[in-house]
Amino acid sequence: MAAIEQDYPADGSRFFQRASFTGNASEYFGIWIVNILLTIVTLGIYSAWAKVRRNRYFYGNTVLLDHSFEYHAKGKQILIGRLIVFGFLVVVNILSHLAPLALLAIWPIMLVIFPWFLMRGLRFNARVTSYRNVRFDFVGTYGGAFKAIFLGALVTVVSVGLLSPIASRWLYKYIFDNLRYGDRPFATEPRLGALYEAFITAIAIMLAAVVVLGLLSVVMIGFRSNSMGPGMGSISLWHWMIVLIFPIYILTGLYYHAAVRNIIWSAATVDRRHQLRSDLGRRRYAWIAISNVIVTLVTFGLMRPWAAVRMQRFLTEHTAIHVDGEIGVVFDQIRSTGSAISAEYLDVDGFDFGF
Amino acid sequence: MSMGSTLVSDHKTIATGVWHPPHSSREVPARLVDIGGSLIVVSIEEGEEDRRLVWGIRSDIEISPRVGSIPRRIVFGNESLFETRDNDAIDTYLRGRGEGRSGLIHGLEIVRPRLIGFALAVVVLASVIYRYALPALVEVAVLVTPPVVPEMMSAGTLKTLDQVTFGPSKLPEAEQTAIRDDFARIAVNAQGGASRYHLNFRDGGLIGPNAFALPDGNLVLTDQLVALAGSDKEMITAVLGHEIGHVEYKHSLRQLYTAAGVAGLVLLIAGDVGSGVQDILTQGGGLLALSYSRQAEAQADRRSVELMLTAGKDPAALSRFFDLLETKLDDNGKTSMLSTHPGTPERKQAILDYVRELRAKGDQPSG
Repeated sequence: MAAIEQDYPADGSRFFQRASFTGNASEYFGIWIVNILLTIVTLGIYSAWAKVRRNRYFYGNTVLLDHSFEYHAKGKQILIGRLIVFGFLVVVNILSHLAPLALLAIWPIMLVIFPWFLMRGLRFNARVTSYRNVRFDFVGTYGGAFKAIFLGALVTVVSVGLLSPIASRWLYKYIFDNLRYGDRPFATEPRLGALYEAFITAIAIMLAAVVVLGLLSVVMIGFRSNSMGPGMGSISLWHWMIVLIFPIYILTGLYYHAAVRNIIWSAATVDRRHQLRSDLGRRRYAWIAISNVIVTLVTFGLMRPWAAVRMQRFLTEHTAIHVDGEIGVVFDQIRSTGSAISAEYLDVDGFDFGF
Repeated sequence: MSMGSTLVSDHKTIATGVWHPPHSSREVPARLVDIGGSLIVVSIEEGEEDRRLVWGIRSDIEISPRVGSIPRRIVFGNESLFETRDNDAIDTYLRGRGEGRSGLIHGLEIVRPRLIGFALAVVVLASVIYRYALPALVEVAVLVTPPVVPEMMSAGTLKTLDQVTFGPSKLPEAEQTAIRDDFARIAVNAQGGASRYHLNFRDGGLIGPNAFALPDGNLVLTDQLVALAGSDKEMITAVLGHEIGHVEYKHSLRQLYTAAGVAGLVLLIAGDVGSGVQDILTQGGGLLALSYSRQAEAQADRRSVELMLTAGKDPAALSRFFDLLETKLDDNGKTSMLSTHPGTPERKQAILDYVRELRAKGDQPSG
């Protein structure tokens, strides 16, 4: 169906093609349970290869314009990356017991190194991802990461959080604007107004919840002092307040996350022409995320494959692309899967931007 | 061996799919053909039929391991790629060449009743690891840790505390000596003898009334705690007995290794359980550490009772200390001490029960 095109993007109704997810829970269950079993049996060493199989399954079943993605990292690569990180943590941990004050000196160093980790992690993940035999790449610099993280954090802290949409815009622009599909650049120009709208909505939900809970607790205290007298009652009520605010905080976070994803992705283009789009339903996203965790816990983890596939399917199916003209033949510059990538031993989890 | 089988089926098509030139997204409909041990990719594009696209021998060709039913990649030496969804055909080809072992993992993963067995094995193994293997590993780690490690840990901690908050003790020399003498009397019966334990007096500063043990046998007692105890010197000795217990059982090392082990386990399966569940597991690890800490306190309490009893002192002196904590510190709202030594009624009761138990045991043989 890739041939259907509209050449007049100006008049609104562009033709977007949704991505799809072809994996299913029962097939993934097999991969997942064997991953865990072998990870246990090999005392954790297999977990690196388990990650490869898991990612290959999810990337390989994510289909856009009739083509799937592929994940190319090798287990050995990831194992070495993990050993480096593990060794580093061990050293820091030992140091924190030998000379706790020296650790205070290490923190600034860690903060300086962190953008580098982020940058290398993004690059690693980009370079081990391919689509139609062409690899992604990430060309962000250390300076860019530094600005996205530290200037962003500084601005957020100084403004007591009020400027945090600006900070997150920097971060996402850093990620997208430096992403390449072969020789084609990605870019995103999210409107600051839209980010603020999402941000203010989230804050408003939080505030409303706090006000409602506050009123409720005042009523309850009044009630209690009439019937039982003051004392421990108010303390346990505060306790309940905090317990109730926590799920609201999570819900708001999920709402905000979905809204930001929609804004960032819908403002993104590939090769300056092909428009991306994300249209997650915020309530649906929150529902899937929360019910996934509950179902996983209730079944002692056994329904986790179902939950993972369900979330991935939801995210994939609400991601779309409008192809402007022909994509044409794309080439990548990453010449050798051997040397160019084997230098990138650092595998930093947490940032995922494959479809 | 493989030659024999390929000669019979000369020029046999293994699978159809698409072919990509090296590093290019251009694609050509193609089929993969087996010609006597080497592989060629032949175009099936209209007008280009049977054009040979690439040729390679098996050792120069990388075939991706099968994962579920995602497309299979056959990468040739020149980095061109043949991709097919016909996983079964590729598997049949590999088996025919005696390379069936490459599909071992996939074979395990196929949905079959035995996956239920795998699930059970995971549950059993996970609980075994949690209940036995992790504690056993912690024991091994504690055993192989050379004594120099706790010594260095302790030296670093004490130095830091001295720099940050502690000052020299303002306790009169005579009072220090009296406490030291009492301490020596119970330390004689402790593991390693009196010489293993060294009592340090300090002005607590920010930390206030406290007593703690460093893993190398250095004990620290703050002036504020001595003041808190007032005239009841036996109580101080009992608290020091409790701290000796922590040293003997190597609680700090154990706690460190347990926390590291739990964190490691959570990290290993993080990607397989999702971030939400990972957070919950991490919090669970924290709860586990708390429960371990409470167990350690109870163990040290019992050790205090034993040491006091052997030294001919009041074994229940420690419970008096908890009384004091409850009345004096709760009123002042200072809970720093309570968080390390939670003075609960159950804890006092446990001490009194243990005293009674030990006394009963001691009475039987003699009387």
